[in-house]
Amino acid sequence: MVLPQAQLLQRPSPAMLLKKVCMLGSFAVGKTSLVRRYVGGIFSDTYLTTVGVKIDNKIVQARENEVKVVLWDLAGDDEFQKMRWTYLRGAFGYLLVADGTRAATLAKAEALEQEMRQELGAKPFVLLINKSDRRSEWEMEPAWQEGLVARGWDIFHTSAKTGEGVEKAFSKLTAKMLL
Amino acid sequence: MPMPEEPIFRLPLDPDEEVSSGNGGSFEELRHLILAPEQEDLARLRERVENAEQRTSDLSAVLPEAIHLRRQEGGEEALGEALRPTVEEALRESVRKDPGTLADALFPVMGPAIRRSILQTLRSFFDSFNEAMDHSLSLRGVQWRIEALRTGRSFSEIILLHSLVFRVEQVFLIHKKTGLPLAHAVAPAVAMQDASLVSGMLSAIQDFVRDSFHSAKGEILQKINVGEMEVWVEDGPYAILAAVIRGIPPPDYRLRMAETLEHIHRNFASQMERFQGDTGPFARATEELSRCLEFQYKEKQSSHPRSYALVFAGVVLVLLAGWWSYRAWENHRWGQFVETLRGEPGLVVTDFERQHGRYEIRGLRDPLAADPQTLLSSAGLDQRDAAFHWAPYYAMDDAILEKRASALLRPPSGVNLKVTDGMLRPEGEASTVWAAEVRDRAPLLPGIRGVDLSQLTDTDQAEFNRLQSLVQTAIIRFPLSSATPTPEDLETLRRLTPQIKSLFEKAQLLRKNVEVDIVGHSDSSGEESTNIPLSQSRADRVLYQLTRDGVARVALRSRGVASAEPLRKEENEEARQYNRSVTFRISAVAPLHGSSAGATPATP
Repeated sequence: MVLPQAQLLQRPSPAMLLKKVCMLGSFAVGKTSLVRRYVGGIFSDTYLTTVGVKIDNKIVQARENEVKVVLWDLAGDDEFQKMRWTYLRGAFGYLLVADGTRAATLAKAEALEQEMRQELGAKPFVLLINKSDRRSEWEMEPAWQEGLVARGWDIFHTSAKTGEGVEKAFSKLTAKMLL
Repeated sequence: MPMPEEPIFRLPLDPDEEVSSGNGGSFEELRHLILAPEQEDLARLRERVENAEQRTSDLSAVLPEAIHLRRQEGGEEALGEALRPTVEEALRESVRKDPGTLADALFPVMGPAIRRSILQTLRSFFDSFNEAMDHSLSLRGVQWRIEALRTGRSFSEIILLHSLVFRVEQVFLIHKKTGLPLAHAVAPAVAMQDASLVSGMLSAIQDFVRDSFHSAKGEILQKINVGEMEVWVEDGPYAILAAVIRGIPPPDYRLRMAETLEHIHRNFASQMERFQGDTGPFARATEELSRCLEFQYKEKQSSHPRSYALVFAGVVLVLLAGWWSYRAWENHRWGQFVETLRGEPGLVVTDFERQHGRYEIRGLRDPLAADPQTLLSSAGLDQRDAAFHWAPYYAMDDAILEKRASALLRPPSGVNLKVTDGMLRPEGEASTVWAAEVRDRAPLLPGIRGVDLSQLTDTDQAEFNRLQSLVQTAIIRFPLSSATPTPEDLETLRRLTPQIKSLFEKAQLLRKNVEVDIVGHSDSSGEESTNIPLSQSRADRVLYQLTRDGVARVALRSRGVASAEPLRKEENEEARQYNRSVTFRISAVAPLHGSSAGATPATP
């Protein structure tokens, strides 16, 4: 006896606007801990080191819309682990994450943006400069940031500890994607 | 856009109408000749375009065809979308004005739909109830209860998991490029994860595997096994269909998935291509996905122990029925046998019962009755199964009376003893002696009320009659004037002698006193005075001869009658010769003593 269960079907939540967003950045810039407090997910962090991606989602209010951001947290691109570019396919936007205390990660973010533009074309993105709670240790040149802002970059100083800037960054990115 | 009041091509003409009327008259005429038909057409067309009534009429003529054409060209979605608000509003308005109209229209549809829904709900309720009842009392049921307690799942869920062959728990339609779920269907009572996460991870894993093993672009991971779960993936140009299955589905399920995915691609290809995160248009695809949520229960196995019990019970029943039928059949046979005994003359069954595996038969038996043991054997019954207890008695049945009479009277061959209602009736031929014996002794037999000898022929009497007639017809002729028989007739006399002796013997048996008159005759020639002595001499001569040959003298008398009793009329010599003779007359049949009832009396 093979029966369809249509009559007793469980209805999934009503349709919502979905956006795939990738989160990129160097190793140990705090990407994962940055979003841990704000996202709902079912997968463990070990996915990052095995499959190279961890997927979470987050409901974001933007432009009077409720958007479900499906966040692809990509493993850092460095000498230990290669970022899998295929994971970026189909992303509507992305988050660049850098560590304010490590200048190399800032440069890497900038480089990533260029690579992304080549790979996906121009896509909405925001830059999160993390570890704002340790601002005294920051190696960022204010001029560098100003240069980027001048080029139209949206930059947020965030802290995984205090949660500073995270919501704003998501709202901004979502708003940009809805344009 | 503002419209000119007059058609544009008329503008340069109009001013000329007033000013140049001189040579303009012919021009006007020419113009009229050339342009008049077009102008009329134009006026007609303008009328047609501007007149709202006319436009409506025109449109109404082609509206159904237009809608039909649009549907054929595949624009039904847009058409549906365009008509939807109007139709919805119309329905709302209809309900507001008079709910009865719509209710009447829907009536034939609603009844069956409601009934089906109720039936379905009841059926699924009873199914799960039955399943739960089946399992709750068994050893396995207890194990499952423990499992339910241990895992924190509901008992019914545990039952479901154990009694399923397979169940498609979730079906995802995943946009290939973004990894976002376009549609998602979940079976009842399945813990539902966030579809976007699962979809994303599934596509990530697809990418991961493809990258890691450098497989060709189009190839995908078709199946993922995780413990008792399987994820089947079907690939399409814009989307993949992923089914999360518990257990092992039939192989043709993949075909069903492929068909579903193809169908979805036919309907939603453009939406999928342009997908920007809005899953709204794919709501209808969810219905199709839900049709893929198949499941199959295990055939009931719990009936195994029960079926053994059933088989055992069946065997016992069959054995019991067999034994019972055998006993019934045996009882029937014995009953029939006892009936046979009862019908048997000389046997009276007074008691018949089964004791300690044997049939005890009690009654009365005439010693002359048939042997019950022999009857038992001829009925095909085992002698060891029976115990007879007979008391002797004299039966009065005719058949037994016949036997008893036969035993006593020993009828000679040719005699058949018949007894009817106690009356003994011998049939056939027997001697007088035997007949007398029957007459004397038969009444002494128990049960014989009388003797009827009418059907018995007395052989002694018959012999007597034969001899008597033989003797009485004998003629011993003598030559003329002679008292010595012719040698030929002397021989006749000699032959007659033993017969006369037998006659006397038979007479004695028949208790008759017989006398033989020897009558001497002469012909009529000659004188009577000589003929009388001659005839007497002739008679004496025969008497002498018989006496000499051993016939008792006392029973013989001789007399001469001369020609007084001629044998024949003397017409010729031969007749005269017959008259010169001696004849015999047997007479005086007086009984010696007693009567000879039943026996045929001898007639002279």
